[in-house]
Amino acid sequence: MSAEIAVVSTFANDGDCARGIEALHGAHVHDFSAYGPFPSEKVLEATQEVRGQGHRHSPVRWFVLLGGIIGFITAVVLTVGTSLEWNLNTGGRPVASIPPYVPIMFELMILIGGISGVLGFFLMSRLPVFEPEPGYRSRFGSDKFGLVVRCQENEAQKFETLLWDAGAEEVQREAA
Amino acid sequence: MQPPYHHSIEPDWQRLNLIGGVLAAIGIVGFVVALGLGEDDRVWQSYLVGLLFFTGVAQGGVLLACGYYLAQGRWTRNAVHLRVAEAGWPFLFLSAVLFWGLFIGRDHIFPWIAHSPGKKAAWLNVPFLFSRDGIALALLAVLSAWFVRISRDRAALRWATEPTTIEMPPVAIRRLAPLLCVLYIFLYTMLAIDLIMSLSPLWHSTLFGWWWFEMCFWSAICASAFVAANFASLLGAGNAFDNPIVLHDFGKLVFAFSIFWVYLSFAQYLVIWYGDLPTETFFLLVRFWHAPWEAIAWLSPILNWVVPFFFLMGVRPKKSKAMLRTAALLGLIGVWITDYIMVVPSLSPYKLPLGWVELSITAGFLGLYLLCVAPGLRLAARMATSGAGEIE
Repeated sequence: MSAEIAVVSTFANDGDCARGIEALHGAHVHDFSAYGPFPSEKVLEATQEVRGQGHRHSPVRWFVLLGGIIGFITAVVLTVGTSLEWNLNTGGRPVASIPPYVPIMFELMILIGGISGVLGFFLMSRLPVFEPEPGYRSRFGSDKFGLVVRCQENEAQKFETLLWDAGAEEVQREAA
Repeated sequence: MQPPYHHSIEPDWQRLNLIGGVLAAIGIVGFVVALGLGEDDRVWQSYLVGLLFFTGVAQGGVLLACGYYLAQGRWTRNAVHLRVAEAGWPFLFLSAVLFWGLFIGRDHIFPWIAHSPGKKAAWLNVPFLFSRDGIALALLAVLSAWFVRISRDRAALRWATEPTTIEMPPVAIRRLAPLLCVLYIFLYTMLAIDLIMSLSPLWHSTLFGWWWFEMCFWSAICASAFVAANFASLLGAGNAFDNPIVLHDFGKLVFAFSIFWVYLSFAQYLVIWYGDLPTETFFLLVRFWHAPWEAIAWLSPILNWVVPFFFLMGVRPKKSKAMLRTAALLGLIGVWITDYIMVVPSLSPYKLPLGWVELSITAGFLGLYLLCVAPGLRLAARMATSGAGEIE
């Protein structure tokens, strides 16, 4: 049995990187990591395309929805609850008047939904990562895009050819 | 990568002009007959509503084009977005002329002519109102025509199509677009005060002008989205509009500015609710809490916000021709209803006049608008089906 290794490919731009992702997808390889110095729509679209082929969408959206609902309910309890508790009559209006509470309900819904989304993102992305993953290069954070494929050593040659054909500037092997 | 252009279908422009002509004739006949039958109040109220609505759509469209340039909106797919938005500019000259019809019917529209508005008479008097509003509409029409002329020039098209070699739009566009936006904000606020708010001379809301010109802008987005969704089907396979990304752009604009509209509406409502002053609350009570107006008034927030918000929340509905077309059309109807409930209840608080007089005069305005917008739409269709309309 051959050892598991990482095939590290470097791309000059996001278009080539996206082509690399599509090529890996074409070869039915889904266990890889993509790195880039900035968020790229092309890379995102290529990954979504891969996900769309029988792979699940990001679950972060459910964190946002749940946080939004919790935020809204919290605001209703906070505003209506405190009004009923103190029972102040302001200008003859109902004690629990909804119009002035709408901005609070809206803002808390957005706030908790947003915070929950960020936490969900960290949780699902397994962040923070203090030790770089095998195959990561510091240039992936400055001026290059990268794809790291984890595979058995005897399969590496096939992926290297795929990545070269997709436009990689450099392809290297590394222990996983 | 877009699929290559295969087969263009030329829409029947003669038919569009014929429909426009027939509707305009219906409007003129309805106008004359209703005046003959002594329905002067209804005629002039509908005339004002029609004028406000279609002028708002036409001017909002030119402003939308200005917005594309100012925001460096090169995502506008080789300018097909721009061509659709600008198409209504000829109506602005017509509306600057039709505005003077209000001078004839002024006694049936402006209550402050018969009953002096007190210290507001310095602002609300016939010579000053008609001269400033007439000049405002004429000025905006001339500047809009100038802007559209430059926008259709080759230099502006090259800016849209060659992002790697040309950084900024032509200098004339860079000067004229901000000027038009600032003038639009000032002059449409003034028109909202003069032609809508002054019909209830006791009432005032400092946000009203902003609210109204934002709604005009949104109505132009809806009109553009409606045209884009129809062109996507009508112009044959491979045209620039027959692209989910383009429809998605329009869907996002309809969705976003609908939310902005309800935001401004609620901002006004909250201040009036807090103050609870009779001189402010009566305006909303007549429309939203008392018969006969409450039945139609609630259609305004439903069609302007509830429908676009829930219809177009997802990505897929925004990219669907049928969904986008429906939401945009309902939005346009919603804006017309909003203009109607802003104008008519001030003059007829206990009666809802909505019958053949209103429908025929609105049809007349629609006909005139179609006749004015047809050449611009033809240009947009030609660009969408030619090589220049293709995208990367």
